[in-house]
Amino acid sequence: MMTRYDCMTVLAGKLKDELVILSLGASVDEWYNAAPHMRNGSLFQQQLGCVTPEAFGLAVGLPHRRIVALDTDGGMLFNLGILATLANERPQNLLVVVWDNECYQSIGGPPTHTASGIVDLAAIARGAGIERAYAVHDLDEFNHRCDDALATQALTVIVAKVDKQVRRDIKRKHSDGREDKYIFVRHVEATEGVVIMGPSEHN
Amino acid sequence: MTMRASVVDTIIKALKTAGVTIACYLPDSLFKELYPALDHDNEIRTIRVTNEGEGAAICGGVWLSGKRAVLVMENSGLRASIEPLARMGMGAGIPVVMLMSYRGDLGENNWWAIPHGMTMEPLLQAMRIPYRLVDREEDIAQAVHDAFTWAHTAYYHSAIVLSGSIVR
Repeated sequence: MMTRYDCMTVLAGKLKDELVILSLGASVDEWYNAAPHMRNGSLFQQQLGCVTPEAFGLAVGLPHRRIVALDTDGGMLFNLGILATLANERPQNLLVVVWDNECYQSIGGPPTHTASGIVDLAAIARGAGIERAYAVHDLDEFNHRCDDALATQALTVIVAKVDKQVRRDIKRKHSDGREDKYIFVRHVEATEGVVIMGPSEHN
Repeated sequence: MTMRASVVDTIIKALKTAGVTIACYLPDSLFKELYPALDHDNEIRTIRVTNEGEGAAICGGVWLSGKRAVLVMENSGLRASIEPLARMGMGAGIPVVMLMSYRGDLGENNWWAIPHGMTMEPLLQAMRIPYRLVDREEDIAQAVHDAFTWAHTAYYHSAIVLSGSIVR
């Protein structure tokens, strides 16, 4: 079974100017290590159920730029409604990757609903009306689906069925979500030529 | 019970003046006339959502892009959006500006709407979200302006609650 970290390494190699919003838990440190060149362009957030909606909002605001959501099975199951919203809105610049390890790994690994083998997030996404929604099970397939998604102006959802194991022999990210937001916003400001957090009236 | 056309125009004009180009909403009955007017406005993109928490998260994402969004909803939607609002606002400092109708205000004649009135202000206060109750059309524009200015200075949420003759 493929690991999330190996998938991240593959995806990271394809990214440069994209913006990434990712979920909480062990995937934070994994992405921090797998994609050091994307550090400023990645928003490390802690909101279950908010990652894909936030990435969609970012995609609406920056339609010329590719946005990548790195969500999880637990996060997506928290608000499946976003799949229906995405199906109707059809953002062409959004790639949603769902790391489906079938458990709430960050709290010790109790099962999510996908652990039953019955619940299929990619099928749910297709049922919502997102045609380009795929479950992938090996690294070659993940690589191919990412290439295709990043080369296409269309919403893609990749549900990556990954191992439960967490990469432990890596650096920890020391910043919190607030510092990460400042880093991310300053990166968006610099690369888009906009002011998001400007000066007060008086200093 | 309808929202006057002049009120709809005033709200949309105020949102545009505040720089809003995106409105997320879950429709309700008191703002019934507002939603199609937003949908038909060429300068505002509307996004219909499945619950107000999702709408809050989308608005937060829009803010990260440098654009301005508003979350339009019934005040009951505050209850559905507390979790993402707490995490985005208190955790990261990502603001959302909300425009909500005041269901359950004095004068309410629907039993199911009573909880909306009972919970709204305590929840806004618990969340430390500053808000303004507006019941006169002539106060809408200033309230919208002030809510956006505060939210984009504090990097925290603010709310405008429309009630009285504005919505009834």
